[in-house]
Amino acid sequence: MNERHAVRTFLLNLLQRTGDRDGFVDSDSLVMSGRLDSVDTLDLVMFLEEKYGVDFAQRGFDMNDLDSLDSIMAVIGGAIQASI
Amino acid sequence: MLATAKNSIRVVPQLDRCPRLAALVQTPAGKIAAALAFAVLLLLNGETRYLELGAFILAMSFFPRYRRLLLSGATLYWLILHPNWIRQGLIRKVAAVEGYADGWGLVLAAAMALCAVLCALGWLLRFVAMRRDHVIARRPVLVMVAAFLCLLVAAGILPLHGAARVALWILVAVTGPYLWFFAYALGDYASPSHDPYRLQVGTFFPFWMGSSVSPTPMGKGAAYLRKVEARTPKDLAVVQLKAIKLLLWILVLNLMLMVFRAVVYGAVSPAAADFCRVHGFHVFSLHVPTLGAALEQTAAGHSPRLAMAWAGVVAHFLDGVLSVPIAGNMVVACVRMAGFHILRNTYKPLYATTVAEFWNRFYYYFKELLVEFFFFPTYIRYFKHNRRLRLAVATLAAATLGNLVYHFCRDSDYVFYLGLWRAVAGFQVYAFYALVLGLAISISQWRGKHAPESLPFYRRVISSAGVIGFYCLLEIFDYEGRNHSLRTHLAFFGSLCPVAR
Repeated sequence: MNERHAVRTFLLNLLQRTGDRDGFVDSDSLVMSGRLDSVDTLDLVMFLEEKYGVDFAQRGFDMNDLDSLDSIMAVIGGAIQASI
Repeated sequence: MLATAKNSIRVVPQLDRCPRLAALVQTPAGKIAAALAFAVLLLLNGETRYLELGAFILAMSFFPRYRRLLLSGATLYWLILHPNWIRQGLIRKVAAVEGYADGWGLVLAAAMALCAVLCALGWLLRFVAMRRDHVIARRPVLVMVAAFLCLLVAAGILPLHGAARVALWILVAVTGPYLWFFAYALGDYASPSHDPYRLQVGTFFPFWMGSSVSPTPMGKGAAYLRKVEARTPKDLAVVQLKAIKLLLWILVLNLMLMVFRAVVYGAVSPAAADFCRVHGFHVFSLHVPTLGAALEQTAAGHSPRLAMAWAGVVAHFLDGVLSVPIAGNMVVACVRMAGFHILRNTYKPLYATTVAEFWNRFYYYFKELLVEFFFFPTYIRYFKHNRRLRLAVATLAAATLGNLVYHFCRDSDYVFYLGLWRAVAGFQVYAFYALVLGLAISISQWRGKHAPESLPFYRRVISSAGVIGFYCLLEIFDYEGRNHSLRTHLAFFGSLCPVAR
């Protein structure tokens, strides 16, 4: 639950950086809808690598995986499973 | 108050925000009216295949459940009847050099080559889906692009003659335009929830490219289309109204471009010239030289006058700011009309306050292609412990290397006409452009970005002016031809400085 909150806060900060103050629900598209651009995506990649140890080189990179809070949580879940 | 007034003044009305209109477009009569309006606007915007495009859109509006299958059908129809993206001129030229007559034989050979390519792709897609841990399945796009470049090099240097040479060049001519469409399909097959091949076919130079021959997939591939597809009749109506609104905006841009070219370059279409002559109008023109003409003069040793050289540079930039949105967003409007809510190709580029932001806003789908197939594959693998170096290397991999690979593959004709080495050496001007662009975007990304409202107005204006100035000057080197050397472009660039003249 805390992880979901932390990722949500990070995504809200990314959105606010471009003046987007609208909220979002967990399944909302953020990358494909254009609310987050590629520069934001690479900040998100770095956040997931550093905070949750996600290795995109190992698991493969698919922009769809970072599109919504739900899909990001699935990526984090996979990384946690792999590290156990 | 000011914000309200600003919002109420719009060149194109907000059709998509009118609930009554959205309800109307969901009825059978409304669907027909929307398709009709779409076709008329295409015609007004200069698209010659407006009737066929309108007919396919109408079918998709009435049978949204079969939208993706209809897309595949329409795309096959377009391939059979209007394959203008395949380098037919190159095929004819190679055949003529090797002593083969132009005719049905060549058409049949090209069709067979394309069938072979589509079969090979089908095998590769299956391989990617079945053998995920294999080295080819892990880097399928790299393997495909490398294979195409090998094919191109072989066509350029192998001492082949006769049917073998024609066959090799036919393979290059039919594969080259599809390269990045195939790349998106390979990306989709890497995920377990990919579309079947019969639906992927609809994304290979889809019918909505119309008369465009650009090999940049606008609307990317099947994975993106699945995400942005209209799910309800209301979604479809709103996205179609957005498409019509975009076409109205393109019409405004077309009129502005026509006036701009007439006034700045003195370029008037034959129809407009006849109209002016009949009605006794005189078109005032500044007769600014085009950037191409100014470079020709420089190459011949006669640099244009300082004011005219600057005017040519600024005019070239403004021409691009008007013409690129017209070409790209025409395709976007067709995609939206088919029921896919994709982003615009160009969106308010002059609002950009950083070099990276301008690039993102100016040619979105080309940038996305480079980001997806060059930037992220580099970013996730190399220099992970040095943030700045990691960002710079990935940006150079995309904006410089990817940019060069894309254009070299696209303009494969030069290898036939000039030979491999001259085609590579003649690429020096564009290589310089891509290098400067990559470095500038890297620096821009290091500096980060700010929320627009966090900058005071004067800072915004200064930042935007700086970005526009940078791209204005960089455009001098955005030359994809092979006639001028880098020295000529640098000489012209130097001639813009009064002291250096």
